[in-house]
Amino acid sequence: MSDKETTAPRRLRFEIFRFNPEDPESEPHIDFFEINERPYMTLYMALNEIRETQDSGLQFDFACRSAICGSCGMLVNGRPALGCRTLTGDLPETIRLHPLPAFKLIGDLSVDTGTWFREMAERTEAWIHEQQPFDKDAQEERMSDDIAQAIYEGDRCIECGCCVASCGVANLKPDFLAAAGLNRVARFMMDPRDKRDDADWFEVVASEQGVFGCVGMMACADVCPKELPLLEVYAYLRRRTLGTKFLAD
Amino acid sequence: MKTLTNTTNVDGARANGRRQIVYELISGGTGLVLALFMWGHVILVGSILTGERGFNWMATMLEDYYIAQPTVAAIFTLFVIHAVFAARKIPAQLAERRRMIALAKGLDRAGREKVPSRRDNSPFVPHLESMLWIWQVRTGMVILVLGSFHLILLGVDVFTPLFGEHAGIESTTSMARVAAGLWLPYAILLLCVEFHASVGLYRLVVKWGSGFLPHRRYLHRIEQFIFWVVLGLGTITLLVLAGWMSPPLEFLLTDVAS
Repeated sequence: MSDKETTAPRRLRFEIFRFNPEDPESEPHIDFFEINERPYMTLYMALNEIRETQDSGLQFDFACRSAICGSCGMLVNGRPALGCRTLTGDLPETIRLHPLPAFKLIGDLSVDTGTWFREMAERTEAWIHEQQPFDKDAQEERMSDDIAQAIYEGDRCIECGCCVASCGVANLKPDFLAAAGLNRVARFMMDPRDKRDDADWFEVVASEQGVFGCVGMMACADVCPKELPLLEVYAYLRRRTLGTKFLAD
Repeated sequence: MKTLTNTTNVDGARANGRRQIVYELISGGTGLVLALFMWGHVILVGSILTGERGFNWMATMLEDYYIAQPTVAAIFTLFVIHAVFAARKIPAQLAERRRMIALAKGLDRAGREKVPSRRDNSPFVPHLESMLWIWQVRTGMVILVLGSFHLILLGVDVFTPLFGEHAGIESTTSMARVAAGLWLPYAILLLCVEFHASVGLYRLVVKWGSGFLPHRRYLHRIEQFIFWVVLGLGTITLLVLAGWMSPPLEFLLTDVAS
């Protein structure tokens, strides 16, 4: 990087999708912007510079700028990625930005992932289901370290929606749970505190909206900014449905 | 947890779940058997590499012991079943397919550009498997047409005395056909089948085995190695069948011949 810093900065050319669904005058189109690249520049920095210096109406989402809030997912040259975590140095001089597909467009690069994730969480009832009334004096149940680690691995999901946007099935079927949804399901299936058993999960997991809707394109695992073991989650759920196939009605 | 499902009919949802498992097992299982059969097939047809003697011995043996006839019938049945159940996930509408292809192309191309400043650990690496799935659908369509033709032709060969000097597969008829022009559909079929089978096996293994198998990076390398080996063997076999190359392993049977 040190010799590259001394050479002249690259002139980056941004091709950004523009459309405001709220405005009846607005037509989907591509706008072009040019800025000078700076060392260690991220898309977060680049887009802010464009908004500050060239087009104050440009819509995009950012909050934490450190890959933990999951707001800045966008299609970067055709690949879903987090804007804050993507260095322009990894990209060619022409950078094409589109909003994430499979989600409702708010405007330009901003999409509504919240509604999708809320619906998914409600459908899968993504919270611990206790059968016993809560006893505040009782000691917390013990959990093995392996299970705790596995649950934590699934809980690292930041709900950015990159896996959903990269999924061929989720792009065509709005009710497909996709990697983010099934990762959540697997997390609660593994959790010993959750009293739902395999029979309770069966209809959700073993359906076209669940693991058997997947065609195996494997893009979810490749684009996940948190590098979650999504293929392992799918394989785990597939194998687990086999055990429950013949359960009683 | 009846509220888990969108449907109010939980029994219907459970029955549907069972059906989905069966469909998945049928499409994967038939694919597995057909892919394994294709490796055996390359070895059987590869008997031509030892010359016409070896080929005819193999064909006659398989027919005399009634191995060839039920195999052709069983493979044709599995072939049709696999087509029906594997095709259930192909989007029906052209607009849907175009959207999938556009998505897969974008994922495949991102990261291919030459960028001098790109870090070694950049997340921008091309993603192949979505495009491989698209190509599996395409090759599957080709195999459905050309494979049906091939299976019917071979069915006629092993079940009726319509062609050749005796009922069954014989080198004279097979080589004459391939040389007369069947080399072209067979070359296309060979390429499509080997691609479809090796990618399909790779996908099947990742779908069910991720977690306790080696990382798919290595599985993909194994898949590519198998693809090229079998494709190479198949190509040489086809060249010999077309008469453009003399059987390279003929020396193996010269003692018997003399």
